[in-house]
Amino acid sequence: MWPHFRAAYNLARWLTRSHDDAEDIVQEAFLRAFSACENLRGDAARPWLLAIVRNTSLNWMKRSGKIALAMGGEPELNDLREPSPDPEQSALISVDRDGVRRALEQLPVEFREALVLREIEGCSYKEIAEVAGIPLGTVMSRLSRGRDCLRRILASPAKETVT
Amino acid sequence: MNCEHSRLYLSAYLDEELDVPGILVMQQHIDECHGCRAVLEQQASLRQALHDPALYAHPTPEFAERIRNQIRRAAQNDTESRFVSLMTPFRMGWYGWMRAAAVVGIALFIALPWAYRLRGSSERAIEEAVIAGHIRSLQAEHLVDIPSSNQHSVKPWFQGRLDFAPAVPDLGDAGWTLVGGRLDYIAGRTVAAVVYRRRLHDINVFIWPKSGAADETANPRYIQGYELLHWTRANMAYWVVSDLNRKELDEFADLLRRR
Repeated sequence: MWPHFRAAYNLARWLTRSHDDAEDIVQEAFLRAFSACENLRGDAARPWLLAIVRNTSLNWMKRSGKIALAMGGEPELNDLREPSPDPEQSALISVDRDGVRRALEQLPVEFREALVLREIEGCSYKEIAEVAGIPLGTVMSRLSRGRDCLRRILASPAKETVT
Repeated sequence: MNCEHSRLYLSAYLDEELDVPGILVMQQHIDECHGCRAVLEQQASLRQALHDPALYAHPTPEFAERIRNQIRRAAQNDTESRFVSLMTPFRMGWYGWMRAAAVVGIALFIALPWAYRLRGSSERAIEEAVIAGHIRSLQAEHLVDIPSSNQHSVKPWFQGRLDFAPAVPDLGDAGWTLVGGRLDYIAGRTVAAVVYRRRLHDINVFIWPKSGAADETANPRYIQGYELLHWTRANMAYWVVSDLNRKELDEFADLLRRR
């Protein structure tokens, strides 16, 4: 369990976007995890622990009113600022660190968690499915839509400078 | 493969999570389609950007230390409690627990209905006494000791005759005439009986203290042609009995509880 402490904090931090909330969540999750099963070690422990962190985070955010959506259904992207035209023609997207961080933070939480788990934590699709409690096909589509969304957000300012 | 499909699988292709036939189909499409190739390139550079180690959110060393201590403490408590269980005269294995559970189960099986019947029978005895008190009050022309429709003369009358002060609200404005008060004897003690009337129906409200009882309202009962309501409020037991219909009697009881 301990080896995944860093991963637990990283996930909670990205989900809640708050350092203080993340610490509280990790603490709660670790106590819950510990009382549930202290003997779980190795690779199986990571998705298991991260699932606890994830659920704790979402409950936390629901409680504090930071997300109002019901998890389960596919999120609607309509609410998101849609930075119009598909930037596929211009190969330029702005990928500076702060821009990427901001873009990732403004993604809906379902996409954010999939992308954080995949790209930042380096989880396999199977592990993501386990953590988020969704089928593999949903992992695939969430990653795909999440990346697309991210790409559009990042492309819009670059496009202005190009044209 | 068309571009719509390609976009869907592009990200899995990038992640090398496609099976071999899937990879081949994607490769072919990307070779042919300029648009999808551009998107793939963008996604690849996006991926590169996301792999920036600076994006990883690291916990502070102080926080790590805090959690580490917490786990250590939890582990310690765990071993201590295990030690305690070792110290018990006999360690119960799975079989032992089953046996203990069975014993407890059987004991409950016997004791619960018994306790229930005991409680039920005392409750039923009170019900009968309340009904009897009501009938007695009508038969013997002894409905009230203090005939008065004025709550301010009925309430003081109880003083000195009882070791508690029953509530005697005036419900005349709602159409419930106060007839008076009386002493009665129920469940081994002297109780207050407050009498109200609607049309030709007399209503006896029996009140006595019941210390330590939780506030609750019992299910209404219909016995020997009488409606019987019972509730407990503020350590007082209330029994309302009348030949009035249930609906009106319920309204009466609601009023009484509210005053």
